[in-house]
Amino acid sequence: MKRYSQTTGEVGESSDLSPWKTADALDLVYVGYGLLIVVLVLVSYVLGAFTWLPYDPEQIRVDLLNAPPGSAGHLLGTDFLGRDILSRLIVGIQAYFLPGLLAIVISLLLGTTLGALAGYRSGEVETLVTYFNNLVDSFPRLVLILLVIAAFKPGIYYIMVVVGVTGVPAVASLIAGKIEFLAQKNFIEAAHVLGLPSRVILLKHILWHHCMPLLVIQATIGMGEAILIETSLSYLGFGVQEPTPSWGNMVQAGANYFFQGKFWPSTAPALSILFTILGFHLLGDGLNGILEGSAGK
Amino acid sequence: MKLAATKPITLVLARELALAALLLVGVSFVVFVILYLSPGDPFSVLLEGQISNHAARAGLREALGVPRTWYVQYLSWLGNLLQGNFGTSIRTGLPVFGEIARVALSTLYLTLGSMLVTLLIAVPIALHSSVRGTTALNWLLTMLAYVVSALPVFWLGYVAVYVFIHQFGVFPLTARIAASSERTWPFSLLPIFVLGIGNGTVSEVVRHLREEMSRVMGEDYIRTARAKGASVWRHAFKEGLLIPMTEIIASKIPFILGGAVIVEQVFNWPGMGRMAWQAAQDRDFPVIMGIAMIAATLVRLGSLLQRVVYVAVNPRASNERRGAAWAE
Amino acid sequence: MKRILIVGLSILAIVVGTSLMSPAAPKNDGRPDGGTLGYGEYGRPSTLDPITSNEMISLRITELVFNGLVGIDEKQQIVPELAERWEVSKDGRAYTFFLRKDVTWHPKEGEDSKPFTADDVVFTYNIMMHPRTITPLKVRYEFIDKVEKLNDYTVQFTLKRPILNALAKFSFKVLPKHGPSNPLYLTREDPFVQHPIGTGPYILKTITTDREIVLVANENYFKGRPHINKFISKPFADQNIMTQALMFNAIDMVVLVNPRDIPELQGDKRFILQPYNALSYGFFGYNLRNPLLADKRVRKAFTYAVNRQEMLDSFFNGQGTIISGPFAPGSWAYNLDVQPLPFDPQKAIALLREAGFNPGPDGVMQKDGKKLTLSLKVPIEKESEAVKRVVLAFQNYLKNIGAAVKVEFKEWQAWKESVFLEHDFDIVFASWVFDDSADISSLFHSAEIGSWKNNFGAYSNPEVDGLIVESKLTLDHEKRRTINRKLHAILSDEAPYTFLWTLTNYSGHHKKLRRVAIHPYKFFSFADEWFIPVADQK
Repeated sequence: MKRYSQTTGEVGESSDLSPWKTADALDLVYVGYGLLIVVLVLVSYVLGAFTWLPYDPEQIRVDLLNAPPGSAGHLLGTDFLGRDILSRLIVGIQAYFLPGLLAIVISLLLGTTLGALAGYRSGEVETLVTYFNNLVDSFPRLVLILLVIAAFKPGIYYIMVVVGVTGVPAVASLIAGKIEFLAQKNFIEAAHVLGLPSRVILLKHILWHHCMPLLVIQATIGMGEAILIETSLSYLGFGVQEPTPSWGNMVQAGANYFFQGKFWPSTAPALSILFTILGFHLLGDGLNGILEGSAGK
Repeated sequence: MKLAATKPITLVLARELALAALLLVGVSFVVFVILYLSPGDPFSVLLEGQISNHAARAGLREALGVPRTWYVQYLSWLGNLLQGNFGTSIRTGLPVFGEIARVALSTLYLTLGSMLVTLLIAVPIALHSSVRGTTALNWLLTMLAYVVSALPVFWLGYVAVYVFIHQFGVFPLTARIAASSERTWPFSLLPIFVLGIGNGTVSEVVRHLREEMSRVMGEDYIRTARAKGASVWRHAFKEGLLIPMTEIIASKIPFILGGAVIVEQVFNWPGMGRMAWQAAQDRDFPVIMGIAMIAATLVRLGSLLQRVVYVAVNPRASNERRGAAWAE
Repeated sequence: MKRILIVGLSILAIVVGTSLMSPAAPKNDGRPDGGTLGYGEYGRPSTLDPITSNEMISLRITELVFNGLVGIDEKQQIVPELAERWEVSKDGRAYTFFLRKDVTWHPKEGEDSKPFTADDVVFTYNIMMHPRTITPLKVRYEFIDKVEKLNDYTVQFTLKRPILNALAKFSFKVLPKHGPSNPLYLTREDPFVQHPIGTGPYILKTITTDREIVLVANENYFKGRPHINKFISKPFADQNIMTQALMFNAIDMVVLVNPRDIPELQGDKRFILQPYNALSYGFFGYNLRNPLLADKRVRKAFTYAVNRQEMLDSFFNGQGTIISGPFAPGSWAYNLDVQPLPFDPQKAIALLREAGFNPGPDGVMQKDGKKLTLSLKVPIEKESEAVKRVVLAFQNYLKNIGAAVKVEFKEWQAWKESVFLEHDFDIVFASWVFDDSADISSLFHSAEIGSWKNNFGAYSNPEVDGLIVESKLTLDHEKRRTINRKLHAILSDEAPYTFLWTLTNYSGHHKKLRRVAIHPYKFFSFADEWFIPVADQK
């Protein structure tokens, strides 16, 4: 979500020039932590997919509602229906996989296309793309989602289409900024002089070599956003619906008991969200520091 | 579209206004298309509790003056919008514009306040780390900013309410209720703090400001000037802080407005966010269309202001770097 | 379970022939006037008049602002209100009401208050029945043939046919003729629906920007000035926060305490929890169009499989009564000889086997290669935790006997369409309000099968049809009682629904409020008698 008008192309460069550039070691730590989170998420997918779980995440225990952590073999306790929270946390990440992927694919594909168009062909095309970006940016995302929910129906896929589309401007301006930056460095001209066709320059040299890191970062950020948006919508009652667990609906359901001093049912998923999003953001930051730093040279 | 290098502020303003108007027409069209494509019948809310036959519904449609073809519908709706007529709420029968107007101010209060909070947190961290480099202290603070940005905002709200109740024995509700007792008025600011901290933008504001500041401080002539002992703060403040700040605020308005939907819900804040939620539940189309339009107007207004500030502090602004987003 | 399908609006009431005359004087009961009561509501009202509104929050407000011709007292007896007495003709078709002459409407802004007359009653009936007026009340008053003004203080209603308990239906709220701007019908665009004036104990003063509704005491109320100076209705968007607001004195009363918060309030001496019957019942309804569910043994098996007591205890703190049929427990129509089926999963499995089902390799029961897999459709509510608990526990109970239930949460409007129009469901979870005259024809009569009709499960039984019609036509109370008891027994045995329970609701209020009596449905019917001791008024 790095995008502030068209300054972004210079981010990498400026970090390079800056005498106060942060230590590379820190970037490595960030990436390390981010990768750890990614690995944990992947492990959760696998565990969930093979249902290697401590308990059946949908098994209800009416006699064991909101049990505290550690009771009766439930490491993180049980929720308002006596279901095992740890198992639901592990399975809960699945709720984001396909919908999140949908949002990411939409924003990356559309964003890259528009960004490349705008960056490579200035003039009217760029104006149009900028108009589109500004148009999408005019909507507060949550209000747009509420509008779509009212018009169609609550459903995680509808919501993720909106998340994807609203993510387009960020990607588009990143790509456009990058291309402009390369153009300023006479990179594209040089490629033309070498007799490479535009298509090859654009796809292979510009997008593949120079924009890939940006896109990877955007993808991780997109995943994080999908989780946060779903959590907000769960609170409003429009998120992933029971009995399917999602971290968002777990926080929401657990928070109903918060004021009665039962913190664990909402805190466990809230911290999962926290550490995961943090991981994604730091991964993005670290990668940015490492990859952009070298790519800019 | 290329304009002269020096532009009087009125000219910039006029052009930006025209752009904003054009964008708002686009917004209205998007809103209309979404609702036009929607299945189902917005009038069914009205009929709830009295499920009648379809002939009666069709009669109702005519009675309410709903035209048939899509472009006639759109144009008549747009025409009415321009006159400030946003229609009447299906649920309450009240004029939408008046309904939104009476709550818009409290949403504005909430969002502007929380923006201020975000900046009060982010600017010192960013300044410190761009001037001093990475120290243990500002690294810790930056991490803290990241952490709060990753928390679900409603959960943060619950934690805040819980802490206030049990630590201070005070119930922080809306400004009105809290203000009824003098002892409690400071706690009416709680929702503003929660949104300011938990709107998910603190980390980005820190990052953006730090990078911009570092970039400006790293520019050759500044380094030279610093070496000579000249004061560079004026320039650094303008280029490195003021402009990036207005930029980031303008671009984050939509996020903060979105966060307001949640915070208003938790803290019973009577604003547009709660209204939007209620309207989404009731499929009260006129209301939610109106809110989308007003919210978009606020967003455009924000970026308009950003441009004005930019041109004002930097009269020789050319389009080369941050130029009007699409003027090239 | 906030949303309730409304079948009948008011409660079962016993007809009293006599009438009492109550004087229009200030209350000289020695209780202090003064003080403000702020009460919390979850959500906001749509409109504030008694005709176009269709939800509980509005209903409660209108109870403070308006009166009916007759009222219902704390013992559920019909008492005079705007009418000081009435006469019923021998054939039971003509009801003549003699109105009080000392009643005035709340003053409109900048105007003097006007007297209440027979014209207002005629006006109210006419706009209620006008085709352009959209109101859930219409169906309730179709039994009236016409209304006539005999003189300024006498009106006569003529019924199409005599019905039992007709008098209770004349508790509809009367509107002023000079109120709505349109003299023929009432729509939600009319300013009156947001700023109504009535004859009731409280005058609607303002609606703040926070959507708080401020009501002030009517000094000229014909039953005497109410004690509490001001009622303020405060809308909340989050139920957890609303309960906390009560506990930390931001409000004085919550009209409906969430079941999960009851233990917390119970342990706090500053608050009083007041029980009142929800007057509605929850159930799982089956779609008999599905051949698997057309078999009564399957439906009964499901009823045996569900542990209703356990759910009631765990999810609602045991606050409610398990029922075996569609009538209010304790009412004349309820058949106490019919016991709710006990929780008996073994018997459930035996019944399924008897119906030809055998466990498949995946544990799901099968019959002729067809799996016992069913869809359960539930409307989404934001604060639907209790609903979620019940349906997911239901799913779990059925899983234990080998029935696979797929729970689908649907948005309210879409849910109604798939249940009432498309009939695209196997099981629904919903609740009905008990009908005040124990009339279940719209639920189980076979003529009520079809689009947007209430017999959504397509239950059809000629014997039940006959009994329902007979019950409706008879005017003999004892005979009717016998018929309804029989209906109860049949419906319990046939199990078109798995009847669950009728819940006990709780309102919670600060103990400074005194003499708080609550009407189970309309809530504020007796609010003019509530008071706050001077020391607590602040």
